[in-house]
Order: sequence, then structure tokens, then C-alpha cells
Amino acid sequence: MAKSMLIISRQAPWSGPGAREALDMALAGGAYDLPLAMLFLDDGVFQLVGAQQPAAVEQKNLGANLQALPLFGVDELYACALSLAQRGLDPATLALPALALDDQGLRELLAHHDLVVTL
Amino acid sequence: MKFAIAVYAPAHSPASRRALQFARALLAQGHELIRVFFYQDGVHSASANVVTPQDEIDVAGQWRSLVSEHGIDAVVCIAAALRRGVLNEEEARRYERPAANLPQPWQLSGLGQLHEAAQQADRLVSFGGM
Amino acid sequence: MSTLHLLSHSPFTDTRLASCLRLLGPDDGVMLTGDAVYAGSDAQLTAPLQQATMRLYALREDVHARGLTPGAAVSVIDYPEFVELTLAYDKVNSWI
Repeated sequence: MAKSMLIISRQAPWSGPGAREALDMALAGGAYDLPLAMLFLDDGVFQLVGAQQPAAVEQKNLGANLQALPLFGVDELYACALSLAQRGLDPATLALPALALDDQGLRELLAHHDLVVTL
Repeated sequence: MKFAIAVYAPAHSPASRRALQFARALLAQGHELIRVFFYQDGVHSASANVVTPQDEIDVAGQWRSLVSEHGIDAVVCIAAALRRGVLNEEEARRYERPAANLPQPWQLSGLGQLHEAAQQADRLVSFGGM
Repeated sequence: MSTLHLLSHSPFTDTRLASCLRLLGPDDGVMLTGDAVYAGSDAQLTAPLQQATMRLYALREDVHARGLTPGAAVSVIDYPEFVELTLAYDKVNSWI
């Protein structure tokens, strides 16, 4: 039986390749049908904001690629409720269907998975 | 026990040296290192072109030695490497770049190799940042 | 399942330790390496770890390089023990 992996994405979307490379890891695992979940934490929650204009800094649309996660079988998406609140983001307005979890929920999420990778 | 090590930091980062020391320690204890996977800025830890002064350690060189001595499966993520200008002969030819800087024993491959190692190892230990 | 959290950033300039402490489970451990060992000497930072009887470790070479004296709650260890520690927990999560 395959080990489950939680990928924690902590980087803001336009501060370098970190956010994309965390996503690539999730998509690669999904392509191999591995049980994966993704958590957006700290500045990683900024990836979930809608109506971003990455072309303004000549970047590709990360948001569009994030939308592909369920297509690759990665449909367990979570966001840290506190990280959202600290950044003035309303969970109801996120561009991705990420479930906002409080700290206790996050602890359970980490405990539940066989592997955790934080990028 | 089987270990897989992922490195996300370049050769001059203490994290790369720490990963190397960890690898040595686990091998000394008789454990198996099934793969070393370099991702993100870790691809630079595989560069053949790092030049260090005589009185400083050559972490990239030490990685090459460790991998060769123990026959460790040493993989560098191709997408991360290309983005950062770390190319082997084949990729340098393909993209018509003036130089190749990824030597043997490093192999370029995809993230599937990292996932495979994570699935097969008893522990995946990652080193990055500082 | 228990997690060994591996940190390497200074807690004074970086939020990784703070986030790690929020996500820490009751059976988890924290391994301080690199600049994260600066946290070991700060009772305020490590108090949450002590309260929950969590295990706190620091890499000896990093403590020594920085001339630090970690608090009593910190177990200072070398690489062989570090390897064993990763096996004592079910998984390792590195805050890279």
C-alpha cells in the first residue's frame, strides 16, 4: 500500500520558483497515483488569492496550474486558518477549494500522513 | 534501515554539508542510502564547476566522492537543474548551451524518482535552507 | 504517527519555528540545526516545547560553533544520534 504524503507549501507565489516547485512535486505524485494532500501555510496562502496578474511580472499563471491538482488526483487541499486570518484573507473567497483548518486540525493532518514535506 | 536524502541547498550552504555528514553517519551505522535527490537550489550541490579556496571544504566534490565510493543512486531534478543552469552534456547539446557542468555520477531525472525513493525508504530526510 | 521536525533557520529572523510550534503534535520532537540552535538558549522560545513534554534536540557542532549554552531541556547530540533520532519518530519533516 502506498504511503500518503502531505506537501506543505509555504512560499508566496511570486517570490521565486518555490511555490511552483512545491506544486510540481504534488503534480508528479498525483501522476503516479500516490495518496497526496497539500497544505498552504504561512505566505503559501497567498497562492490561493484570486484575480492575480502574474503577467505583470512576466510570470506564468501559477493559479491555473493549481487548478489542475484535482485532475491529477490531488483533491485534498487545505489552508491554515490562522495564516489566512493573519493576512486578511477570507477562506470563502479563495480561488482554490482549500479547506481552512485551525491548528488542531493541522496537527491531526500532519499526524495522519506517512510522509510530510515542507517547501 | 533504508534512507533517502533530499537536498534543497547549494554546496556553499551549511545545509548541504549537514546532509553530507548525515549521509556519512547513516552509512557508518550500516544503514542503506537508497537515493540522494537534489531539488530546487540543491541542484547546485551537484555542480562540477564549484571552485573553493584551498583552505575551505569542497562540499560538491565531497558529494561526488561519497556517491562514487558507495555507488549511491544520485539524482538531480531535471526541471530544477535546467532552470538554474545545471546541465549535463546531453542537455547542453540539446539546448545549445556553451558548457555542461553536471558530471558523473549525477543523473538528471524527474520528481518521480523522489517520490519513488520516499515510498521505498524507511525514512526520507530533507536538508535545505541554511 | 509522530513527527521529528527539523529546523535550521534562526527563530529571531524567521517564522518557521513559530509555525512549527503551532503544528507540533503531543508525540513530536524538534531537532535544531544550523541557526535554529539559537532557539535553544532562549527559555521563552522553548517553553512551549518543555510544557508539552516534547523532545527538544540540538546538533552539537552547530551549538559549539556558535559558542552557545543551551538550556537543560535541550539534548545536544551528534550525527550518529541524529540518525537514530530520525528512526525513533515515524517521519521527519524538514522546515527547509
